[in-house]
Amino acid sequence: MVTNGSLIRVIDLKKYYNKGAIKALDGVTVDVNRGDVMVVIGPSGSGKSTFLRSLNLMEQPTSGLIIFDGVDITKKKEQTPDGKWVRLNLDLHRQKMGMVFQHFNLFPHMTILDNMTLAPIKVKHIPQEAAEKKALELLDRVGLADRAQAYPIQLSGGQKQRVAIVRALAMSPDVMLFDEPTSALDPEMVGEVLDVMTELAREGMTMVVVTHEMGFAREVGNRVLFMDAGKLVEQGTPDDIFNHPQNARLQDFLSKVL
Amino acid sequence: MSFAAFSPRTIIRERFVPMKLTAAGFEKVLKYAVMFRDGLVCTLSLSALTVILGFILALILALCRLGKFKPLNILASVYVEIFRATPMLVQLFIVYYVVFGGINLPSFRLFGSIRFDRFLPGVVALSLNSGAYLSEIIRSGIQSIDGGQTEAARSLGLSQGLTMRYIVLPQAIRNILPAIANEFVTIIKESSICYTIGVQEIMYAVAAVKGAAYIIAEPLIVATALYFCLTYPTSKIIAYFERRMNRGHKR
Repeated sequence: MVTNGSLIRVIDLKKYYNKGAIKALDGVTVDVNRGDVMVVIGPSGSGKSTFLRSLNLMEQPTSGLIIFDGVDITKKKEQTPDGKWVRLNLDLHRQKMGMVFQHFNLFPHMTILDNMTLAPIKVKHIPQEAAEKKALELLDRVGLADRAQAYPIQLSGGQKQRVAIVRALAMSPDVMLFDEPTSALDPEMVGEVLDVMTELAREGMTMVVVTHEMGFAREVGNRVLFMDAGKLVEQGTPDDIFNHPQNARLQDFLSKVL
Repeated sequence: MSFAAFSPRTIIRERFVPMKLTAAGFEKVLKYAVMFRDGLVCTLSLSALTVILGFILALILALCRLGKFKPLNILASVYVEIFRATPMLVQLFIVYYVVFGGINLPSFRLFGSIRFDRFLPGVVALSLNSGAYLSEIIRSGIQSIDGGQTEAARSLGLSQGLTMRYIVLPQAIRNILPAIANEFVTIIKESSICYTIGVQEIMYAVAAVKGAAYIIAEPLIVATALYFCLTYPTSKIIAYFERRMNRGHKR
């Protein structure tokens, strides 16, 4: 696995609701390195989804920095290589961060192929033919090439999530963010989605995964983060976290989920 | 011709007009077929233009109300509330007598029969009114779309505008199509009110026949039939598009 420097640096990230009465994120600092498969675990309400959704600013943090590829995307302005300050184009940075949601969020009024080619064509201005060729290659990789002309409603949950993953991949992102990708699936469909994610990890994709799949965290992750009450309580290798947990809350959590 | 001569009040007051339906009466109406044809053309153009202008206005109003810029939110809300809380007739008169009162509009005739200086205020008043109603429909349609759709689009790097255009609006419009169809039919029917400012639409033809041939029941029946022939196919055509747009939503 290639590790060459941090891709996302998160510094003292806070997200408060009701003027600080609810602290969804209470000062999280962590580096996501290139090639990392970082799995975030923790009880519900611990802030792990908020943390993930802050990385591409789906949630606007109350304070803290998110430095993605050298640019602090929480600011209104960014510095160009020649030193000039220009308006930060968040859409441009989001293109490089693929996101997969718990409820798939495929566009129901478009075919699978159109779902996948919309952003490449409209945002990256890739010619339609090239975008469709790439989409079909990606669909083939997840075994769904024959469903290109189907509509999302015609697919099973597992198929939908596989499409959602390759839809994000069609933008050739630098990092993939997974927000509980298997939580809304029937149990027998969890495997097919995890297989795709495992393959993606093996190819060296940088991934941040919020999940309750401890097997995936253990087998595929190279780093595991345990969050509780908006704080990053413990982090380490899967072996550290699962076999030698230090924090009492983590020990308690693991005794319930394992 | 002042509007008073053709106001609904005069129709009611002049009870000397025979109220019975007779075959002879319909024969008389036939002589004025040209007036009804012109009236039909006028009602059609009035409604079609109102639908287009009203929809554009409604879209702008809805986006203003849902946008992040507070002054625009308030402005759009005030507009919608005022236009929904006051009678169409009052709005029409204000537009005709007050807004366009001081302006000398060219009095050429559209399609050889429609007086432009009456037609334009009519279109403006109807559009302003239906824009308010349609904007509420569009707003509810946009709000009915799951936030996850916007999130997915934004996470792919689509801007707010592209997300609205390719993801939210197509789904919103599909959801609200029945309500929009209803509003379009309402516009066709409400356009009859423009007869009070002398727009030569279908009801104007009724009044003209009444004045010339001293019959009222027969031209009213003809008008009813004409309106039905306009509204019924309109709702059917929209129902067809609704079925077509539903393709992706059924197995």
